[in-house]
Amino acid sequence: MRQTLTAVLERDTTFTTDFVTEPYEAAWAGEARWFVHTLASSGGGVAVRMVTQISPDGLTWCDLDGSERVATGPGLVSWPISEFGQWLRLHATLTGENPSVKLRIYLTAKS
Amino acid sequence: MTTLEPSGVAEELRCAITSADPRLSKFSPLRRILTYDDFNSGTHGWTELLGNYNGRGDLSTVDDHMRDFRPPQLSSCTFFDIGTHGAMTGTYALKLATRPYTGHTATAIRRLTMSGRGRLQIEAYFTFKAEAVLDGSVGDQFGDVRWDGNLHPSEAQFGCFTVATDLCGDGGLRYHTVARYLNTTLENKLVHQWVYPTVPEPTPREHLAGKVKLGYGADFTAPNPEDWRPFGEPQELCYNEVPTKVNWHYLRWVIDTATRRNVELQLNDRVMDMSGVPVPPYQERYDSLENLLNFYFSVRTHSTIRNFLFLDSVLISTQW
Repeated sequence: MRQTLTAVLERDTTFTTDFVTEPYEAAWAGEARWFVHTLASSGGGVAVRMVTQISPDGLTWCDLDGSERVATGPGLVSWPISEFGQWLRLHATLTGENPSVKLRIYLTAKS
Repeated sequence: MTTLEPSGVAEELRCAITSADPRLSKFSPLRRILTYDDFNSGTHGWTELLGNYNGRGDLSTVDDHMRDFRPPQLSSCTFFDIGTHGAMTGTYALKLATRPYTGHTATAIRRLTMSGRGRLQIEAYFTFKAEAVLDGSVGDQFGDVRWDGNLHPSEAQFGCFTVATDLCGDGGLRYHTVARYLNTTLENKLVHQWVYPTVPEPTPREHLAGKVKLGYGADFTAPNPEDWRPFGEPQELCYNEVPTKVNWHYLRWVIDTATRRNVELQLNDRVMDMSGVPVPPYQERYDSLENLLNFYFSVRTHSTIRNFLFLDSVLISTQW
């Protein structure tokens, strides 16, 4: 049977500026998927623009690929990732007028 | 030592079988092995601790100091300089990692119940590290450590780690047993001292009742530094100089749930008598926790540098 693990990297966190999630090791996993749940949002034309970042040592980071995912309001956004390195994190940029978003961020990984 | 001595053929046979199994021969289990966790095959139920929330699942009702203990990670113990260090057994260890926030704690808890009373033992092979700092923000001096080719400032950047229980039974009588290795003071001075709390851990019910309100980064086990007392003599562990070498340590801790007392703690070649270390119970009874048997490990940083506790393997055994 395959191994699986769900980590809640942010649980009920309100962001008003750009952020990165804490480094998370997933070298054992062959595939993974982000679930970003926007619980609440306020501001004008607010968007959370997210890219997956990878690292060989948990210290230095680069983008996994060129893709960007965007959350524009309450609800769930998800996308798969593969061929990543030792560590994973999300880099998020907030756009819009006085943006404020409350997020729950899951990383699900599978061997 | 509480390690069972052979007494009779059955006991000799049990010891022989245990000794012949390379997974178990590095442990000294009591009669019944309740759990054996080798993290090459998953997290084995060691999970993040989270405070309680209201009936609507509103996580904003979780106490600030118990809302962000971070999810444990399956780590290959990989570092910037040498790559994959690996665990003591196989590739993976369970890693607890704090945020880079002074006072932040990471936890891993295992939730069981008691099917008897008596001696209860947890054994683990573990190591501990502060995250390597590569951006020059720290330099060669931290706390009272200056890099001299042997001692490294990283050692002063590691705060403390804790092994503890949450136990309840016999009509809702709840108590904790706690052993903490205080590597540094809150001022980042090396102390290498084992300590225990003189008060029970603040609970969400006490918060809801207005008895306690702690901020993010507070020490959830016992928030007032004056409520901690030393036991045993200072003990130097094998940090091994720099933040990227890991040496695995042996821990064996025995308590007695029949008497609700500490018994002893072994760390490598030192055995400390803990029978005189008090176990303060909660004054009020707790519902919904009959026969509660939780163990947790935690790691707390005393600086703005992430602290890690790595567990190679853990074995819980009982006398009952």
